[in-house]
Amino acid sequence: MTTVESSEAADRARRLQRVAELLAEAVTPEQVLDAILTEGVRAAEARAGSIGVLSDDGERIEMLAQIGYRPEVMRDWLEFRLDAPTPMSDVIRTGEPLFISSVQERNRLYPSLADVGQEDGHALVVVPLAVEGRVFGGMSLSFDHDIEFEPERREMKVALARQAAQALARSRLFAAEQAMRERMTFLAEASQLLGSSLDYNRTLRRLAQLCVPQLADWCAIDMVGPDGEIERLAVAHEDPEKVKWAYELQDRYPPDPDAPRGVPQVLRSGEPDFLPTIPEELLEEAIGDDHELRRIVDELGLKSSIAVPLIARGRTLGALSLIAAERHAIFTNADLELAIEVARRAAVAVDNARLYREAERGANAARALAYVADGVVLLDRDGTVQHWNPAAAAITGVSEDEALGRPVGEVVPAWDSLTTHVTLLAPGSAPRPVTVPIVLGGHERWVAVAGVKFGGGTVYALQDVTEERALEKTRSDFVATASHELRTPLAAVYGAVRTLRRDDVQLSELDRAQFLEMIESEATRLAKIVDQILLAGQLDAEAVELELTECNPADVAAGVIESAETHLPDSISLSLDAEEPPQIACDPNKLRQVLVNLVDNAVKYSPGGGEVVLRVRGDNGNCRIDVLDEGLGIPSGEQSRIFEKFYRLDPQQTHGVGGSGLGLYICRELVERMDGRLTVESELGKGSRFSVVLPVRA
Amino acid sequence: MWRCEARDRARSGSLAHGSGWAVPASGTARRVLVIDDERSIRLLCRVNLAASGMEVLEAEDGRTGLDLARNERPDLVLLDVMMPDVDGWTVARELAESVETREIPVVFLTARADAADKRLGEQLGGVGYLVKPFDPVSIGDYVEDVLSRIERGERDQLRREISSGRER
Repeated sequence: MTTVESSEAADRARRLQRVAELLAEAVTPEQVLDAILTEGVRAAEARAGSIGVLSDDGERIEMLAQIGYRPEVMRDWLEFRLDAPTPMSDVIRTGEPLFISSVQERNRLYPSLADVGQEDGHALVVVPLAVEGRVFGGMSLSFDHDIEFEPERREMKVALARQAAQALARSRLFAAEQAMRERMTFLAEASQLLGSSLDYNRTLRRLAQLCVPQLADWCAIDMVGPDGEIERLAVAHEDPEKVKWAYELQDRYPPDPDAPRGVPQVLRSGEPDFLPTIPEELLEEAIGDDHELRRIVDELGLKSSIAVPLIARGRTLGALSLIAAERHAIFTNADLELAIEVARRAAVAVDNARLYREAERGANAARALAYVADGVVLLDRDGTVQHWNPAAAAITGVSEDEALGRPVGEVVPAWDSLTTHVTLLAPGSAPRPVTVPIVLGGHERWVAVAGVKFGGGTVYALQDVTEERALEKTRSDFVATASHELRTPLAAVYGAVRTLRRDDVQLSELDRAQFLEMIESEATRLAKIVDQILLAGQLDAEAVELELTECNPADVAAGVIESAETHLPDSISLSLDAEEPPQIACDPNKLRQVLVNLVDNAVKYSPGGGEVVLRVRGDNGNCRIDVLDEGLGIPSGEQSRIFEKFYRLDPQQTHGVGGSGLGLYICRELVERMDGRLTVESELGKGSRFSVVLPVRA
Repeated sequence: MWRCEARDRARSGSLAHGSGWAVPASGTARRVLVIDDERSIRLLCRVNLAASGMEVLEAEDGRTGLDLARNERPDLVLLDVMMPDVDGWTVARELAESVETREIPVVFLTARADAADKRLGEQLGGVGYLVKPFDPVSIGDYVEDVLSRIERGERDQLRREISSGRER
């Protein structure tokens, strides 16, 4: 080996060493490519160089980086087919390096390249890039003179390629891993976001925001509306101005739901639509003659698009669209896969949220039906019971289990009479309930029924208005009773005056006296009835004011006895039995009113005479005032009802003072307003004991 | 016991003749039975009917009234409705069901003013329906008018007038 040779060899080894060092430091594919093409090309003493790799599908060669060639040449060789007749294709296919000493040799080997890069043409080396025996690309080096490559120089180029291949493979793996990690991170972030809320509209808007700029320059989410219409839910771009612009564009050029491409097609077919490069003619077709649209599209610089469906349980709920424009690289299959995965997760989240909402709505509806006071009955078109809520069960006396799935006529034999007068309405009409009496379980009940007929059958609302009706009847009965009660004393007063004023008849002194007494007593009776009606009304309106003062119940009782004795029938003996009672807090006037009423009743219901006793006692920290009689007594079934307003113990029979049906009602109301209780014990034919129990003053 | 008392009172009522100038054409005084649990109403009827020359029988409850009607065969019954035990409707029904008493004209004298009550009164065979308060001064003329019309064969017309709303 000559000195020159050895020094050249040493030089080459040094240069190789330098490249190796640089490659070892390079981490990303970009750094590796930069190291190969600057230092590697220089180390090989080449004028220009390029690195190409096999595409994912293995059918094309994609030029990753080039240096030293003229720009138009570099543009022409960005990508070409693996089966194209080129040196790099051959090298990648065969895995053998190719050393071409001159352009003449190249043109001989590759006639189709004869008119390509003529002025650049001298010696050319293409070496395969392989790792573990697998060729994934090639490196070309072009020289500015013809060279017959010595074995040693060939060896150096192969060694350089080996180093480059390892560094590039490693960095690409690293980049792929990095990308994978980023995707996983993105997916994790997206999943977390999608699981964060049941407000999926808001979540999807945030998802679109998350997609830019990481996944794409633009992200849009469209949903299928309830009537199949396309609703744009979100558009995201880093620049809010552009988003505004996109919405304007959407308004001005609404999507055609029948469009053969893009979101409408994805929503229809449920298949992704992927355009790695958006073909010029497609844009042209979309733009047409619209200059404004052309300006906008030009400005947007759309490169690459992905539209993927949001599918859950076989239904297409919407679509996620990604667009690469001014910044993002052209989309790859990996981007498509990621988009599909994001869309799948988004669809599941939307579906879950909707299901949850539906379930919740269903549960709420069930709760409402379970607790509503109205009976709700759902019949299918054949009249079979489909729903029978607890209120319906309570009204009809038939349980849900007994009713469900059976013809309603079997469930409630009275159903026909219940519903025969009900006009079935269309959904949304104002309800027109019909109130009908039916006998259910041996009792007559009044039920207000309304029905609505819809596609799936009929829904009935039942309301038990028996009590309202009874109350209404009691009220009208009261009015009738009150008017009857007023008419009789009125007739007496009026008649007495008319008779007294007759000048054609000479009345006896006795008759005259009787008429005058009649006027006085019947007028008093009128006044009492009117007072009671008024007082009952005031009690209802909470308009009665009581003045609670300290008082001695025995004194009040004594006063009651005193005034009662003035108009007592001879057959009645009235007495006071008061031990020294405790002081109580009460309204003495109201207590007196109560006791007068109770004593009057005792006298009135003792037609055969007897003893009436007013007994006052201290009783367990209370004061107890009993009114005892030996009269007719009250049937046990009536005892709890006699305190009800308007209730009359045998309405045909009750006459005389306080015959308004209000006396005992007023008594109990007054006693309760003094924090006391009014109760009755009675035995038919033996007499009654009414007890007023009032708390002793603390 | 008090029923007997009522009968005593009714007898005493029958003695309460008026001045006697309104004796009808037949020559015998009209005999009117007043059935009402209200003493004051009975008193009004007794004094004013007597003033028209009519003989008045009184009963203070339905049962007594029925007994008196059967035994005394009055020319007309003035009948209250709301009474203890046997009410006026029952009295009218029983009067109409008995061969002995079904010809006795019944005039209701009541505080019940509902149309339904008047219809019931008509159905039960009433020939008149007076609502309290009423003018006792004209009660004698009214009774006389009703009896004359019945004698002229207008009984059914009188009945129809109850619910057709013709007020007296």
